[in-house]
Amino acid sequence: MSEFVERSVSAPAETAASRRPIGLLLVALPVFLVIWLVIWPAINAISRTIWRTDTDGNSSFDLSSYAFFFSDRYSLDNLAVTLWTTLICAVLLLVICLPIALYLRFAHGRLPAYVQALAILPMFVPSIILAFAFIRVLGPNGMVDILLNAVGLPKIRTPYLTPWGPVIGLVWDNIPLTVLILLSGLGSVANQSIEAARDVGANAFRVFWHIILPRISNSILVALSFSVLGIFSSFTLPYLLGPASPEMLGPFMQRTLRDLQDPIGAMTQAVVAFGFCILFGLFYVRSVARSRGK
Amino acid sequence: MSVLHISEVTKTFSGGTHAVNSFSLDIADGELVCLLGPSGSGKSTLLRMVGGFEQPTSGRITIDGEDVTHLPPERRPTGMVFQSHALWTHMNVFKNLAFGLKLRRMPAAEIKEKVEAVLELVGLAGYGDRMTTQLSGGQQQRVALARSLVLEPKILLLDEPFASLDQHLRERLREEVRDIQQRLGITTLFVTHGQDEALSMADRIVVMANGKTEQIGRPDVVYRDPKTPFVAGFIGTMNLIEGEVQNGQFVRSDFTFALPIIDGPATLAIRPEALELTVSDTPKAQVHRVTDYGSHGLVDLDLADGTRLKSMVAHPDLFRAGQGVDLLPKAVAAYRDNQQIFRSGM
Repeated sequence: MSEFVERSVSAPAETAASRRPIGLLLVALPVFLVIWLVIWPAINAISRTIWRTDTDGNSSFDLSSYAFFFSDRYSLDNLAVTLWTTLICAVLLLVICLPIALYLRFAHGRLPAYVQALAILPMFVPSIILAFAFIRVLGPNGMVDILLNAVGLPKIRTPYLTPWGPVIGLVWDNIPLTVLILLSGLGSVANQSIEAARDVGANAFRVFWHIILPRISNSILVALSFSVLGIFSSFTLPYLLGPASPEMLGPFMQRTLRDLQDPIGAMTQAVVAFGFCILFGLFYVRSVARSRGK
Repeated sequence: MSVLHISEVTKTFSGGTHAVNSFSLDIADGELVCLLGPSGSGKSTLLRMVGGFEQPTSGRITIDGEDVTHLPPERRPTGMVFQSHALWTHMNVFKNLAFGLKLRRMPAAEIKEKVEAVLELVGLAGYGDRMTTQLSGGQQQRVALARSLVLEPKILLLDEPFASLDQHLRERLREEVRDIQQRLGITTLFVTHGQDEALSMADRIVVMANGKTEQIGRPDVVYRDPKTPFVAGFIGTMNLIEGEVQNGQFVRSDFTFALPIIDGPATLAIRPEALELTVSDTPKAQVHRVTDYGSHGLVDLDLADGTRLKSMVAHPDLFRAGQGVDLLPKAVAAYRDNQQIFRSGM
């Protein structure tokens, strides 16, 4: 009897102990991949760009690649166009996605379900397909030009191969994630707290400004951070839709590595891009921590 | 002088469901009226229509003679207290109360004065700087009440405001709310499914079922003289016994009772406190369980066919499970076709 009791009591502890290695094994693979594919290349790139080996095989601390990047007009133009694209995309995403998310949160009936399906659709379209669809529609002699021509109107000035090309593509590509994050934030705004605001005399705008916006500020921050980080380091859409000069950092790195065969220069650009992304990340963490502290 | 007039209001949801069906009610100045009914009876929908959160399909709502039927909530002279408090958690208590006043472009000094006065009224003086998340459930409900009162609405609407609170706090708060309502003389429409709340607070009770009025009256009248079997069963505890009247005798199993009405089916209603018991050698019912509440006892009885009845007794120690008893109803009402057809002693 006592043996049975002893066995029953020790069973949960044994189960927990036997589960521990399985849990660790499950976590180990992603941790290993992050270390192998993200952390190690980052450390490697930073160290190789600041600790350089000269032709005689002597290693020394050397910031000349960074000095070149920040003094080279072309590199700075590329950085500027990347920051400009990121900023414009962030603003456009907020302006486009917030009304969609508000509509989806507060509208009733079948129509919002169709709107949501349409808003989420870009998530299932690969960037390369999106880029070619863009070219066929908005590119030179694309569908829009053909339609305009059919009704006797002049051709549009196509955004293809201008800085607006990547902006349109990246905004379209990031709409689903931004809408979903904003929608989840709006889900935490209770209907009754909105009704209470209307009850004390707030019109729709004041309800949005004073009640909804403060409640979803974190979600806006998360949505924008995710989009900004993705857009800043994007490659496919800027490569296929953007201008050759200036170009965003993604295509710039690829060209520096492949065409110019300058791995240190490409790595320097990558470290600069990484630095900016860390800055965005720190801003996000600080803002979230501050709002949690409130 | 604030009078609410609800005339022939109907609310039909998509699918043709009548949430409220041709409902009319007049509420006098300073009166507190409780809408009482089970879930789905339409009481909350009706309150929301008065508050402007739902549009009636037909009918008219006026406040002091002004037609507010199609006005949005922000333009109605009503103040609503919600079941879930609905406080804005990103604002402190002061800002929650001041928000409506700021929207009315009131000077800051006046806002401060009004907010402090209403916080004093609800017993939360000095709580202005607290975040609402730092308050207990009862304090949050007081803030919600203060937020409505600070705007001095003509009609105060309370939507099951104590539903999320524990029993003790609920009892305390309903006394406080009633005191405040009487002190301010504010016309109030109160929705609840708790009969205790309705009986203890209301000047009048409106019992609702299926979107319609079952009975309107003073709490004591509704309790003592329920006009329909639904009201009889819903307000307080009631023994509702289905049976047949034959030659002036109501018959159900071994239980008979003289009922001077035409023969036919009838429902006999007897309050537990009006059903006296005596230990008998020729029993009509058998004691199933005796519960002693200290101040009184409750005896559960079974008729021969298994029908369960309840009787409130002063001395529960006189009865025990399995004992045979005779039933002596002191006050009864009888219903047929959903109408009261006989009443005696109630």
